[in-house]
Amino acid sequence: MASITSPINNKSRKPGDPNIFQKLAYGIKGQELLIKLVTTFILAVGAVLILTPFVFMISTSLKDQSQLRSDPLSIIPRRPTTVEVNGKQEPLYKVNLDGEVNQMALIKKIPGKKGQFVDPANPGQIYELLITDQKPIYHVEIHWENFKKALTSVPFDRYFINTMLVVTLSMLGMLTSCTLVAYGFSRFRAPGLNILFLVMIATIMLPSQVRLIPVYVMFQKIGWVDTLLPLIIPAFFANPYDVFLLRQFFMTIPLELDDAAKIDGANPLQTLMYVVLPQARPAIVAVAIFHFLFAWNDFYEPLIFLHSRENWTLAVGLQTFDALYSVNTHLIMAASLVMIIPPVLLFFFSQRIFTQGVVFTGIKG
Amino acid sequence: MKKTPRKQLSMSKREALYGYLFISPWLIGFILFTIGPMLASLYFSFTDYNVVDSPTWVGLANYSKIFSGVPEAIRTLSSEPLGDPLFWKSLQVTLYFAMLALPLGLIVSFFLALLLNQKIPGVNLWRTVYFLPSVIAGVAVTILWVRIFSPRVGILNPILEKFGIQGPGWLSSPDWAVPALVIMSLWGIGGGMIIYLAGLQGVPTDLYDASKVDGANLVQRFRFVTLPMMTPVIFYELVLSLIATFQYFTEAYVASGGTGGPVRSTLFYNLYLYQNAFKYFDMGYASTMAWILFVIVLLLTLLVFRSSEYWVHYEGQLRGRG
Amino acid sequence: MKRLILILNLVLIATMVIGACSKPTTEVGSPEAPAPTEAVATEEPAATEAPATGKVKVTIFVGMGTGTDPDQIDAQMVLQDKFNSTHDNIEVEFLIVPHEEAGTRFLAMVSGGTAPELVGPNGVETSATYFDVWADITPYIEAENFDTSDFYGPAVELNTYPDKNTGLPLGLYPSFIFYNKDLFDAAGLPYPTHDFNDKTWNMDKLREYAMLLTLDENYNNATSPDFDPTKIVQWGYDDSWEGMRGALGMWGAENIGRPTISDYKTAVANSPEWVYGLNWISNGIWNDHFIQDAAAQADRDAIANDPFGFGAIAMFYSYTWFFAEGLVELPFEYDIAPFPYNQKGERISRIDADNFTISAGSANQDAAWEVMKWLTDPEQIIDVCLIYGCVPARKSVADEFRTVLEERWPGLDYDVVFNSIDYLDNPNHESYIPDWSRIEEALNNSLSLIYTGENKDAQNVLDQVNTEIQTILDEYWAGQ
Repeated sequence: MASITSPINNKSRKPGDPNIFQKLAYGIKGQELLIKLVTTFILAVGAVLILTPFVFMISTSLKDQSQLRSDPLSIIPRRPTTVEVNGKQEPLYKVNLDGEVNQMALIKKIPGKKGQFVDPANPGQIYELLITDQKPIYHVEIHWENFKKALTSVPFDRYFINTMLVVTLSMLGMLTSCTLVAYGFSRFRAPGLNILFLVMIATIMLPSQVRLIPVYVMFQKIGWVDTLLPLIIPAFFANPYDVFLLRQFFMTIPLELDDAAKIDGANPLQTLMYVVLPQARPAIVAVAIFHFLFAWNDFYEPLIFLHSRENWTLAVGLQTFDALYSVNTHLIMAASLVMIIPPVLLFFFSQRIFTQGVVFTGIKG
Repeated sequence: MKKTPRKQLSMSKREALYGYLFISPWLIGFILFTIGPMLASLYFSFTDYNVVDSPTWVGLANYSKIFSGVPEAIRTLSSEPLGDPLFWKSLQVTLYFAMLALPLGLIVSFFLALLLNQKIPGVNLWRTVYFLPSVIAGVAVTILWVRIFSPRVGILNPILEKFGIQGPGWLSSPDWAVPALVIMSLWGIGGGMIIYLAGLQGVPTDLYDASKVDGANLVQRFRFVTLPMMTPVIFYELVLSLIATFQYFTEAYVASGGTGGPVRSTLFYNLYLYQNAFKYFDMGYASTMAWILFVIVLLLTLLVFRSSEYWVHYEGQLRGRG
Repeated sequence: MKRLILILNLVLIATMVIGACSKPTTEVGSPEAPAPTEAVATEEPAATEAPATGKVKVTIFVGMGTGTDPDQIDAQMVLQDKFNSTHDNIEVEFLIVPHEEAGTRFLAMVSGGTAPELVGPNGVETSATYFDVWADITPYIEAENFDTSDFYGPAVELNTYPDKNTGLPLGLYPSFIFYNKDLFDAAGLPYPTHDFNDKTWNMDKLREYAMLLTLDENYNNATSPDFDPTKIVQWGYDDSWEGMRGALGMWGAENIGRPTISDYKTAVANSPEWVYGLNWISNGIWNDHFIQDAAAQADRDAIANDPFGFGAIAMFYSYTWFFAEGLVELPFEYDIAPFPYNQKGERISRIDADNFTISAGSANQDAAWEVMKWLTDPEQIIDVCLIYGCVPARKSVADEFRTVLEERWPGLDYDVVFNSIDYLDNPNHESYIPDWSRIEEALNNSLSLIYTGENKDAQNVLDQVNTEIQTILDEYWAGQ
């Protein structure tokens, strides 16, 4: 991988070579180690910042509504322990009584910040004590079933299939069309081509809200509403974001190999496939990941075009939990967490392509 | 003899033909799917259109409403004479956000990509960690951060308090709502970071080797190898971030419950546009706003494009393009 | 190879063209399937095509208001089956859209020529904002001499406008005070009276109680000299879910909950009563501290679904629809009390009301009318209302419904629910005014000035918003 440091290599150490401390202090290798340490440190601090909301998210997804209400900040979902006293469930406290610590139930709050505490075994005896001096007792209560509930209260399996259909087919279309178009914009001279490039970029400058109704009406007229087609077919006609990115990448690739291929008799398509694309692999992967992400999470357009609930995608299904009167935060968090697994896995495993850098030999001179 | 001139002509013509052939998928799609609705919305901007009934032509009425009263307003420094004070308010909110989020986002994600480009143990894991937030659906992210920003029961202010800082009301306070949204957007820069990573990966290693042989140190390698080779990607990020920032909508919508509050402090341009289109049934006016934004963003983008001649370096750039 | 890719693209274009001529399916892979009937889109939406069963299709669009919860979705499916199995000529389909996008989708459908036949349940707000889209049901009522006497009179009035009647009343949501008994006990206070004729239960009394129920972390209440307003842990009163019109209608202005006079051309948002009311709220937040300010509300919303379940607000002013979502496993004792008398000695207790409406541009309006009657029929109306949480608008089912309510939510004084209906606000706080949403946004923006403390002067705030509203009204009428 291309980086601004190289790996430390101790194998070729000879007598008279600087030792490790001298290396650390002076050598290039020392400098590289220092860079790595500093990098790791900064990343670690940043990771804490990045992950804290995430941990919060997980913790929220494992609570139920009443826990969210009464105990919002605890990382581990817990609930006040209760005990039955006189037929009702009352919260249990660790109570300080004459130096002794007992477990007592709070049965009533009374003015003056006090409460009536009783020993559950002996409910007749009431102690009136300051509530603030006692410690409530909690037990851990994790609601794993939130995940099951989130995934089953709406037909997520059906939505998953729909989403995968949309995502994979549109990715196929996008990759094919965008590489072709980006190639066209970057490797050819033609009158008006530059202007068209600008026009293409300009199309994303218009807020999509005002195109929504005309687009809907258009798809309505050709009968594509309530199908997955409006989400898939346009991908086969390229989109400005990915074309722009690929074009930028293609333009970083020197022309010499192209020329060499041309001399060898390759036509433009062959040049694209055998010369340009292999060198642009990181960009292709990046574009694919981005498209996956976008299509995976896109809910605005599917919501407008998809009529019946069987056709919904995952992102649209997620919206169900955000209803008018009851925002089921714990279910939204649970569902969202499950939804991030495929993109994250995709990213994690595609990093191999990121790390296989580009090695050139013999280009210059 | 006669063959050579004909071959000359057909070569550049052929190149032009290939060029158009390769971009034809986009061109066709543009004609089929895009240009129709775009022109329709341009037409709407000259009409009074409540979506339910047919549009009625009003000429420049929408535009003049927006621009009326501007000279007096500047002169008297009050919003009274303005034809639509909310339009200018929404523009101001958007610019405020852009000024904060744009540079911060670009710089931080670039810096992050540099760090994550190192060969440190577990780098795949680190990258995934930073990438994680950008994967979560935008609505869920906003709901999560609304909770985090809660003045007393969120997690941000209690942490600040440990450092002795009295945290503000964030999303519930008119002065801090936009900065809060900026912070929230920074959480998701993992997305931009990937682009930069891909760009860094694309810098040929032999350039670094050659520079080291020439005795370049870390900073010099960055300045003379990394940075120049990264300019195409930086250019891309700059243009797209510019466009995206001016169209910022979903997060503000969810965080403010669609109101743009508190006290219109999160009334972004696109949010006000959306309200006009779908809440006030004034699609004509919304279309007008859309096209004015289009012009603003286009001008800014052209500026960036023009400037790119001076600072963007392409290894594989064609000379004398059409 | 290039040819291959270009051919691929061409094939796709061809597919698209062919697909344009075929009937829409849900399968992506078969857009070339020939259509069983001619379906190149015309102005007539597909609803008029007779599917195999020969029934007329009525789409019920749900999502503008309540009805989008997973539980409600299931219940509506049951209702759908019930109708379809008992009707030979009409087929009903519930189209349930997530609330956030319901408005957009509805507009898209209307402008695309496929307006849904029935829309609902609509609050007064939805009826008012989409006013021009609804069909007038007066012709249907007159044609069959439909008897509306069983509906509560005020409910019918809410739907009756000068130029149209927007729909049969479905349900009502009277309002009252939800109070937290545990907090009253802890403060040693008696519960608010349930006697509707007790005139000592007025806003001054409410304020008095609320201050005694507002506590800081040292348990000092708001009347105590040691009270620390920066460390409040419990508040006495909340009405934060209501906008400006609802919050101020109760103070007895001539136009009650409407910021214009009856000609819809003159703004009266700064009437003396509205100013009085807004001042009462502003004092309640910033001087007496028994109402939460914006920051405290943000905290509350982060951890609780609603102000009452939050557990630290003693009195919450809300409606019957709150039962379904708010009275769920609450860890404290509670009951409901009538809303107090105002400073003029009148009681104005807001009401929300739901109905279904018919889209004027839809295909099968006659069938929609039949479905509307069925939904509001005494036999169905209780089931329907249970899904949405409203009190049926029919007097004849009141007793039966009351039994159901007592079963579902035991321990509440249901006299309060049914008696409150008589005190509803008319003009309603959600009633129609021109450019409804724009004026609503201006009013609520002003309310947020008070709640955030940007401007605590009620007279000043209302004067400014009145000018804003007048401008909006003037522009509206100029364009007519």
